[in-house]
Amino acid sequence: MTLPSLEPVARPASPAPAEGTSRQERLAATTRRQRMTRLRLLAWQVALVVLFLAIWEIGTRLSILSKNANIFDPFFVSRPSQIVSRLYDWTVGVKAGYLWPHLWATLGATMVGLVVAVVTGFFVGLLFSQKRELAIVFNPFIVALNSLPRIAFVPLITMIFGLGLASKVVTAWFIVFFLVFFNTFKGGMAIEKELLDFCRTLGASERQLTLTVRIPNAMAWIFTALPNAVSFSLIGVVISEFVGSTTGMGYLIIVSLATLNAGDMFASLTVLSLVGVTLVSLFQMLERRLLKWSPEFREQN
Amino acid sequence: MIRLDRIEKTYFARERDVHAIGNITATIAAGEFVAIVGPSGCGKSTLLHLLAGFDVPTGGEALVDGRRVVPGTVPKGLGYIFQKDTVLPWKRVRENIALGLTYRNVGRAAIDKKVAELLKLGNLEGFGDAYPHQLSGGMRRRVALLMTLACDPQILLLDEPFGALDTHTRTLLHRELIGIWRQMRQTVVLVTHDLDEAVTLSDRIIVLSRPPSRILLDHRVDIPQPRDVFSVRDTPVFTENFRTIWRVLGEEFREGTAVEAAA
Repeated sequence: MTLPSLEPVARPASPAPAEGTSRQERLAATTRRQRMTRLRLLAWQVALVVLFLAIWEIGTRLSILSKNANIFDPFFVSRPSQIVSRLYDWTVGVKAGYLWPHLWATLGATMVGLVVAVVTGFFVGLLFSQKRELAIVFNPFIVALNSLPRIAFVPLITMIFGLGLASKVVTAWFIVFFLVFFNTFKGGMAIEKELLDFCRTLGASERQLTLTVRIPNAMAWIFTALPNAVSFSLIGVVISEFVGSTTGMGYLIIVSLATLNAGDMFASLTVLSLVGVTLVSLFQMLERRLLKWSPEFREQN
Repeated sequence: MIRLDRIEKTYFARERDVHAIGNITATIAAGEFVAIVGPSGCGKSTLLHLLAGFDVPTGGEALVDGRRVVPGTVPKGLGYIFQKDTVLPWKRVRENIALGLTYRNVGRAAIDKKVAELLKLGNLEGFGDAYPHQLSGGMRRRVALLMTLACDPQILLLDEPFGALDTHTRTLLHRELIGIWRQMRQTVVLVTHDLDEAVTLSDRIIVLSRPPSRILLDHRVDIPQPRDVFSVRDTPVFTENFRTIWRVLGEEFREGTAVEAAA
């Protein structure tokens, strides 16, 4: 999912400075004020994180808390310093390099699943939006498949495709495909007849219409779905790793559960959330880049 | 040349068939600037659709340059401007204008030359590399017009092209359209609900009745060309022409209202 943003859209203009100051001075003053506002807000955010970590660290060290409440018992919730040292061990410490194969396994499967889902969803969506009969014939099946809790299929997928990369990719594909497919389909149906007719008067053949109008239009709809798609792909891969695999961040989490090792669990979760945030922001940047021709389009969808 | 020969159009629907175009016969000579006006729902736009082959007539036929219009095929040399925005938002202005030429596989150099000419013609020099969302509504209209002009149409069908614009922008575009038409002398058929616009621009005005529509009046506008779109509205001859048509069109509006009130 795209992280919902709670930031206010724009702050109303600050009161104008006293008469007589030059335009440059006013501009500089406004910029300075805006920068101070940003810094102040950032300081609040940092303070909240520090406070949270401090409560976590200190609470788990106070025996009066840790003895009486599970959520302060380091056996269950570990503690920040332990997570940091665990991550240090996994990367450069005593178990140097332990993390990387698992990280790459999850990242690789996420990206492969995403690419396969985007390509197949795109073509099927485009095809269905152009062949009405096909869309009508398949409609009930797609609705049925889409309304099933797709996670229920993960054990079956694992049974069929085994404990390796294939299961993870198929699971990610299974979850992301519908998202991309529906977006492309919706985009294809949303093209205005006037636009196609207009291009016909400019001399476009059906093939040229597809190349210059239908495909770029569908791509625009896909780009808006990318941040969501990558997030879903990661979810699919991790679930597949839970159900059955021998590598990946999901596998590390399941092993931590089996060994009741909260330190390993939180270290894996930390890495996984960093991966999620990074991937989604990267794809948001990519989306902005690819859709720079249309700020309205991004907002609408 | 355009000929409508006893053309009819009925939309069949379960509840009630809509007999949009009754029976229309008219000839429009090459190089003429004709406006079609009429109450809403009288099938003005449908007529243009039939001429461009977007729709199938239920009776009679449309001929463009002596050839029967085949539904599904746009007649050669015919340009069409919609009221809706029809520029491709993901292409720059330059690429939009070149679109028709790329469909025809025209060479790179010839395209660049033509696009530069057209940008100049449309007063859009300096906007070639802009994306449509960076332009105003009036500018986007000009881009759509230039996209059509790039294909050197002999016939321009304008389907309420200025409907969504403010008066100021609309008048500026009127001036540009008249200028372009005086240079290139295409056959222009303008569908509009704005009688002011029709009198300002056209040499001949066809007034349609309420559906099933027929021609109520075929009026020649005797205002000499070239016209200045800003001052022409103030002249007595403009008022005279306006009144002659309004006498017929206003009556039609009134009856339409009476029918609606009775229903």
